[in-house]
This record gives sequence, C-alpha cells and structure tokens, in this order.
Amino acid sequence: MLDKINHIRSEFSNELAQVTDAQTLEHLRIKYLARKGSIAELFDELKSVSADEKPALGKALNELRMFVQSGFDEAKAKLERSGAQKDIPYDVTLPGRPVPLGTKHPITQTLEEIVNIFKGMGFTVATGPEIETDYYNFGALNFPDDHPARDMQDTFFIAKDILLRTHTSPVQIRYMEQHKPPVRVVIPGRVYRNEAVSARSHVLFHQVEGLYVDEGVTLGDLKGTLVTFAKQFYGSSVKYKFRPTFFPFTEPSADMYVSCFICNGKGCQMCKHAGWLEILGSGMVHPNLYKNVGYDTEKYTGFAFGMGVERIAILRHGIDDIRLFTENDIRFLKQF
Amino acid sequence: MRISHQWLKELIDFKLTPEQLADELSMLGLEVASYDDLSRTYDKFIVGQVLERAKHPNADRLTLCKVATGATTLDIVCGAPNVEAGQKVIVALVGATIPHNQHDPDGKPFVLERASIRGVESNGMICSAYELGIGGDADGILVITDKVKVGTPLAKYLGITDIVYEIEITANRGDWLSHFGVAREIGALIGKRMRPPIHKLRESKATAVLAAKVKIVDAKKCPRYSARIVRNVKIAPSPKWLQDRLTAVGLRPINNVVDVTNYVMYETGQPLHAFDYDELAEHMIIVRSAQEGERFTTLDGKMRTLRSDVLMICDGEKPVAIGGVMGGANSEIGDSTTTILLESAYFDPVNIRRTSKFLGLSTDASRRFERSTDINGTVYPVNRVAQLLQQIAGAEVLKGVIDVYPNKRKSSAISLRPARVNQILGTALSRAKVKSYLERLECSCRHGAKDTLSVTVPSYRSDLLEEIDLVEEVARMYGYNNIETKTRASIQFSTETAVKSLQDELRSYCAGAGFNEILPNSLLDAKTTEIAGEGAVKILNPVSVDMAYLRTSLIPGALHIVRRNQFQGQSRLRMFEVGNVFSLVEGGKTGVFDSYRQEERVLLLLSGLQTPLSYGVTARQFDFMDVKGEVQALLSKFSLDKSGFISYDTHKALSEDNVAIEINSTYAGYFGKVKSSVTKKFEIEGDVYIAELNTAILDAHRAHIKKFRPLPKFPKVARDLAFIVEGRLPQEQVEKAIRDSGGEMLQAVSLFDVYSGEQLGGGKKSLAYALEFQPQDRTLTVKEIDAVIATIVAHVQRTCGATIRASS
Repeated sequence: MLDKINHIRSEFSNELAQVTDAQTLEHLRIKYLARKGSIAELFDELKSVSADEKPALGKALNELRMFVQSGFDEAKAKLERSGAQKDIPYDVTLPGRPVPLGTKHPITQTLEEIVNIFKGMGFTVATGPEIETDYYNFGALNFPDDHPARDMQDTFFIAKDILLRTHTSPVQIRYMEQHKPPVRVVIPGRVYRNEAVSARSHVLFHQVEGLYVDEGVTLGDLKGTLVTFAKQFYGSSVKYKFRPTFFPFTEPSADMYVSCFICNGKGCQMCKHAGWLEILGSGMVHPNLYKNVGYDTEKYTGFAFGMGVERIAILRHGIDDIRLFTENDIRFLKQF
Repeated sequence: MRISHQWLKELIDFKLTPEQLADELSMLGLEVASYDDLSRTYDKFIVGQVLERAKHPNADRLTLCKVATGATTLDIVCGAPNVEAGQKVIVALVGATIPHNQHDPDGKPFVLERASIRGVESNGMICSAYELGIGGDADGILVITDKVKVGTPLAKYLGITDIVYEIEITANRGDWLSHFGVAREIGALIGKRMRPPIHKLRESKATAVLAAKVKIVDAKKCPRYSARIVRNVKIAPSPKWLQDRLTAVGLRPINNVVDVTNYVMYETGQPLHAFDYDELAEHMIIVRSAQEGERFTTLDGKMRTLRSDVLMICDGEKPVAIGGVMGGANSEIGDSTTTILLESAYFDPVNIRRTSKFLGLSTDASRRFERSTDINGTVYPVNRVAQLLQQIAGAEVLKGVIDVYPNKRKSSAISLRPARVNQILGTALSRAKVKSYLERLECSCRHGAKDTLSVTVPSYRSDLLEEIDLVEEVARMYGYNNIETKTRASIQFSTETAVKSLQDELRSYCAGAGFNEILPNSLLDAKTTEIAGEGAVKILNPVSVDMAYLRTSLIPGALHIVRRNQFQGQSRLRMFEVGNVFSLVEGGKTGVFDSYRQEERVLLLLSGLQTPLSYGVTARQFDFMDVKGEVQALLSKFSLDKSGFISYDTHKALSEDNVAIEINSTYAGYFGKVKSSVTKKFEIEGDVYIAELNTAILDAHRAHIKKFRPLPKFPKVARDLAFIVEGRLPQEQVEKAIRDSGGEMLQAVSLFDVYSGEQLGGGKKSLAYALEFQPQDRTLTVKEIDAVIATIVAHVQRTCGATIRASS
C-alpha cells in the first residue's frame, strides 16, 4: 500500500506539471480528490489493513492528501493569476454585490420634509412630552370643562388630569410660557386618540403643529404662510381654499383644502369626488391662550396650524391602510 | 345631522341649487358632507298597466304579462297570485335597485337584470309593497287604485322629491342642529330673514295653570321650564307628510304625539317631551336633583342608578324623567293617552353633559341641550307642538303656557372695535361694513363709544360671548377666501444658536449605515411590557388589552416587529428606532405629572443573516460582535471618545451577555443578546442582538464642533505581534498592556486574529495584533521600533502571563 501511495504522489506531480488550463486541472481534481477519486479509494483500503500497519499508513495517506490538495490549490491560484481561464469569459451580467440600503420611516420622511419647509420660512423646532396634564392638553387651550368640544378628541387617561396628549398643541402653551414673542416654531410629535383601530384610523399618529405670534400677524399672514407651504410641498400650481371651522384654541378657525393632486381636481376616490383634499386645520390664536401664558392680548396676534402626518403620507403615496405605518413590514419600509 | 331641502324652503325663500347650497354652506363653516336626492331611490320604477295575462308554458305558478309602461310594452314574467289584466302596478325596469329581496332572509337589496325565467324572457318586475320598502305586504303585487297616468315615475307618484343634506356640525354651534339654524345661515348668506311657521292656536277656556303646577327646585340646573297642556288627543299614526319628513331626516315615525315633538325639535332645535298627564301624580311637575343612588327606569327599559347631580323631572310623588336626557317608562305616551303635558325647558349645558357622560346615554335631546339651546326661545316650540297636535290629532289646547323662569336672562351687549377686526384679519373694513355683516346674522348693532359697535346677539347664539367671537363672524361673512393672502412678510429673525438636532442626525446616520427605521406602537399589552421590567404606566381606559400599557423600553415592541417580518420570510433584519419610553419614577405618585419619566432612546437591532445572500460569499448570522461594532461606530460618529464598556450581570429579564455603555462615566444604555427564552415567547427564530441608548446622554456629551488634528508629516510604521495567553483572559487586558507600554507613538492597536487550537496546548489562545506607530517629528529607525516592541513584549509577558508567538 505504501507503494501505491508513493506512486500516486509521483504520478500527480508529473501530471500537475503539464497543466496549462482550468479544464485539465479540474480533471486532475476529479481523478485524485473527488469523492470517488484515487485517494478516497486508498482510504477505503485502509479500513482492511492490520492494526499494526494502520498508524503509519494512515499518516502517510493523510500527508498524500495534503500534498495533492496544496498542489492543486497552488496551481489553481497560479492559473487564475495568469489569466489562463481565458476560455471562460468574465461574466459581467452577474448581479452586483448586494448593498443593503437603510431607510427612514415614511412618516419620518414626510415629517422632515414638512418641517424643512417651515425652517426655510424662519421657524424653529420645539418638542414636548407625550404624557401631558389636562391643563396643557385642554384647559390652557380654551377647552372648557364639560364642553362638547372635548368629544372632538377621545382621550386616553393615565390618572385624573394626566393623559396621553391628543394633539401637539400643548407644546404651544409650554413654548409660550418659556419664550417671549416673536414666536415662530414648528412642533412635530406623536399623539394618541382613543379610537378603534381600522384601515382609516389609529390610536397613534403624528402631527406637525405650527405657531407664529408677533405684533401685526393677521389672518392674511396665516393664509400666506400656509399657501407658501402648500405650494412648496404639493407643487406650485396647486389650488387652495380656506373654510371656517371650529377649534377651541383658535378664532377665527380655518380648514385648508388643496386641489386634489391625485385626480387634479376632477374627482376621485381619495378626494371623495370633491376635487379637494383637506390638509390642515388652522386659525388665529384665541386671546385666552395669551392670557394663560401672560402675553399682552392687545399687542400680540398670531396664528397656529396643525396637520396629521399619516394622512399626508397616505395621500401622497397612495397608501391604503394606516396600520401599515405601525406594522413596520420591511417590504413596506423599503419602498420609501 | 340630516337637513331636508323642502323643509328649508318652507322657512326661507332661496334659489340655490342643492350643489350651490352645499358649497355655500360649507364655505360658511357648516360642512355639508354629502347630499342625496331621495327620488333616486326609485330610479327606474314606474307606474305600469297590465294589458294581458297568460299562463307560463313551463310553470304553473307563473304568468306571462304584457305591461304598458307609457313608452313601450314589456313582457314580464310574474309570480304573484293576484296579478290581473287591467291592474295598475309598479314596474321595476331592468337596472333598478330593488330595496328588498323577497327571497333573501335579510331582505337585502339587489339590482334587477334581464332574465330568462323557465325559458321565457322577462324584461322587468312587477313589485310588491315589501319589495319597494313601502309597507310589509309581500304576498302579492301592489295594485294601485289611484288615478295616475301610466308611465309616471314612482317617486313622483309617492311624492318623494326631497333632497337631504348630511351636515357635520361643529361643537360650538348647537343652533345648527335644527332647520331653523340652517335656514338662518342661508338667510345671512342671501340677505334675507328666516320666517318661522305662523301658528294659529285655538285655545279652550280651561286654563293650563289650573290644570297643572310646575315647580323648579334647582334653578341652576333648570333655569326655565315652559309647559302646555293638551287634551282629547287621539293617538294614531301620523299623516303621510309628517312621516315622510321624519323618514327623510332619518327618524322612525312612531305615533302622532311623539312624531310631532320630534318634528318640532328638528325644526326649532328645542327638544320637547310629552308626558301622559294622567300618569302625573297630583298633576304636578317638580324639577329637582336626584338622590344619590336613586334608581329610575328610562324609556328604553333600562334601570339606571343616579348620582345626586343628575336633574330629575318629578311629579307629586316620583321621578318621571331624567331632565334633558330621557323620559321615564312610567309616564310614556301610550295608545290610551288622551291628555298630555308638553315640556319645553332650558337645562344647564354643563350638567346635561355630565349626566349624559355619567349615564353613557347620549340622545337627540342631550346632544342639543349640552350645546345650549335658546333660553329665550322655549315658548314658540311648545306652541308649535300644540298647534300641530290640534291640526293632526284633534287636540284641545288649554289656555296659556305655564312658564317658570325665575331669573330672566337679558342679553348683554358685546363691545366690538372694527380696528380689532382689521388687526386680526388683515383687512380694512369700515365700521359700517362690519355692522352690516353682523346684522345679516340678526345681531343688533348700536354705535358705541370711540368708534366701537355695541352688539347684541340673538339669544340662540350662545356661542357668541366676546369680541373675538364676533371677529370670526365678520370673517365668515366677509369670506375667508376674500382675505388677502400675504406672502410678503416682515419677519424678526431668530438669533438663537442653530443646533443640529441629535434625532435628525441619528436617523440620518442609522439609515446611512443600512438600518431600516421602524415606528412601532408605543402602547403594548401587559405581558409584552413586563418583559422589559416593572414600572410601566397603565392606561385607565384602553381601547383593548393589547394596548393597555406604555412601553418602558423600545425592545419588546421591536421584537413584535421581528416576528412579523420573520413570518413574512425576511431572513435579515437590521432595524433602528428613535422614540420615547415611559415609566413611573421610583417612589413617584400616580397622578402627579413629575412622577412620570419620559425618556427618549435609540434602538439598534440585528437579527438573521449578516450579509445578504450572494454568490461567492459565505453566509453567516449576525453575532454579538456585530452589535458591539455598531455601538462603537455610533459612538465614534458623535465623537463620544470618552465612552467605555462594562460587561455586567444585571439579571435583566430580557437579554444576556449585557454590556453597559458609559459615556463620560455616565450610564447611557447597554447592548446584548436577547435571551432565547424571550425570543421563544415571541416565536422568533434565531438570535436577536440589541443596543438601546439614552439619547439625552448622547446629546449632552457629543461634540457639536469637531476639532481638527493636523495630519502627520512622517510615515507611520506597522508591526504585528501575536501572544499566547490563558483562554480565559479577556483580550481587553492584553490590549491595555500593549497600549500602556507602547508609548506616545503608538497610535492604533487592532486585534486581527483570535485562535485557539490543539497546537497551543489546552486552554490557551493566541491573540494577534496589528500595531501602528506614528512619529510626529522624525522618521523612525528599525532600531527604535525594535526597542519599543521589546518593551511591549516584556510588559505583556509580565502582566498577562503571555508568551510571544510571533513578531513581524
């Protein structure tokens, strides 16, 4: 058996010396190293060798295998270096190495875009707590106790007078308490409403709130600021209108509509065939808020606005279910 | 709230089309969500006449009818036993929506198609009253005996021509919950006045005040109570016009008395209640507060336990109604009722709302009272009800109104400065113009001192209390869209230091580093929340048990997301979140704001394949060192050089192999591997590695402005060193020994190989480091380097019990 081993070693060396292409080399690999190659055969034979001879023969056989393997590896590397595999052209159609992209959540993207437009108009950014007091969430915002206006926002309570904020508006009060006019600030954040979860509504969503208080700020400025935002965000040709509505913390209050950018005002499912989409609520800050934060109600006027980020993202991307935002399916996230 | 077009037409003369009206009202703040032409319900239904009736060749129970429909004659297969030639019938044409399917157990509507019935084509359907939804009779077709022309549309025949607006009322405008209110708004729009229907009452000689007594005990909760008494009423179904009106606005007709009170409520906005006079003990009404724990059965048959602030309407002995919310079963109008006490009261809105919330009972009446009704308008509605009952139920109306109104409320004038209007709206309106707008809304304006207006508002406008309320009214009348849109601004710029938000930077960095941002729900179930530890804040009124607690950590919610994505076949997850967590601080008191901690954190999560599957690449799973590397990268991004890692055993329920992250010796968070007992609970396959850091700590210590370090002018020298040490020795100690002894020039030490194997001897490992030396002022000689290397080797050997394996 030792003879056989020595024979194979020299035979392999000879044949290897003559290899010039990958195909021949592959033949060699099959002849010696494959599962049914000559070395494997020898290992089979080893099983029937007597116990005395086994250690020595086993060692020799292992050495042979290492010798052949390293010879093969070296030759292969040499061939590759010399470009001897010319007969197999480089396949440029192989897919590129995958580079997994990270993504910001579509809500973050929408929110950043909105905030950046207002930053461009001189607004700074403020934030506030999600667990709030009844005073900041309602009382200071001119929601009387036991008034039907409180039904506008179904609330999660944590304790008496402690709740999860239902809107980002409490930050208006917190900010005004800390800053003297002029105040020009946008407030992004997470809010909660005690509502049944469905494709159209969720207990949790995001808002961007805005507040501008100074001397001489009018409803005309409110319109100008929000129209500028709408044109930058929805396109310069967008049409718009303002409609009276009611919020306890603003008066006069206005809902803003833009022409439906999905159907261009012709009427579609998204705009309920009205041709218009409601995009935000706004109004002139109610003087009672100034009283609550110690501003001069005669000297200062201002406006506030707020919009739901999910709603805007839904309209913009044609998303059909608000729950997708909290489900965080990677297939969804990677689309944005 | 549904509003009828025909009803409005009776109150005010206007020429707007429904589309125009819907649009104009919406632009005044009275949002018309939609409007329906009721006649459309009977599109493609017409009056026809059966000309011939013949037997169906293939079915005994069916007949073949030739039916004239005016324009054409149709062949129709009919299954009704009562069809005869000559009858006038209602024909549904192909394409009509049949309101009730006779063959459907739920009677669901269906669209009629041309069909072949047992081999014979049928081009329409002769309808039964049940199928048309105008009565219960399903046994045979409806046969018309009235004089009506063949071909008349069914809607016209039935007199259904109304248009109904679905209006969304804002919380401040209770007055809009009526046709009066909407008609007044139309009046303001077109410059006319709404005209209430004139009622001519014939009163009998007997007077109401002698027939019944009304006493208000709690005048704060019930400032006014007006009542009338009518007798000899015959309870019967209402006439068709009344039933049609109620049906149009979405009410179910019950009987003439109940229908009339509902009708007048929808007309005037004043809720009215009818008591069976003979059931009122001592023929008395006493308005008082309930006794704590008092029980009362309301009209809906429910027994309710009351609180002492609930206002009760009582007779001489017992309660008969919950004031302003719902009547009682004990004084309900029944078939045998003949004498009625009609209530038209004003209740304190706040108390009605409290009662309604407390009882969980919101009614047509409570919805109106809690928005405030017209305290000075209680008499007209009760007269109107009496008049209608006289007209349709033959009622005798007793003379006079019992009207208890102890403190008559006078409307006080609001002072309005036109200059203030212009200051807020950015307009230049004159006093006269402002006055004219308010007068359209039936406000009376007098010129007050110093160019002001003294404005008295109508008593039904309880929402107009102060100057700013009038400013809004002027804006509405002027038109929001007529106000100049100012895009030129005179702005005071902010001079505060501009600081890049850490959150923005974190998100950009993580997305750039290949993480997907997730925004999971911050409300979780008890079990999931508990996994991350105690102190979770509970929601008192959750929508479901799944969302009853606020998260105390970003990790458990993210694990839900991992499971969801694994179920969808994702083999590689690399996610991050920046979000708030909440807890009750130790020793904190529930209900005290400062006891709730709200902390923002950033989460990094790795699970599954480290690199996406690709040819020529060996796939491997994310491991502990991956998450550690991510944390190191994140810290270096924000130049948090003075950070350190301490492995510690916190007995955290959630994760193991935890390493605490310290920044400038402040605990900032940790990273580790989620325990397999936890991943099992979430049905997650494989390992999940997480890092969670407090953003406030990152923010406090990050370098906002990075300092420049001059680039070296001399070449650096690289050397490798490999040591054999005890397997249990942390590599950190070897690295530290190298750094300690390497001198100033040693710039970088990086571990590039860890090996343990038989050859090294049991329990040993080899650690190989690449060292970089960077001289500042000269080129290093081999001799110098060799000397440093020798020092390092000696130090590592001495301090770590290491032997040198290789040096190059």
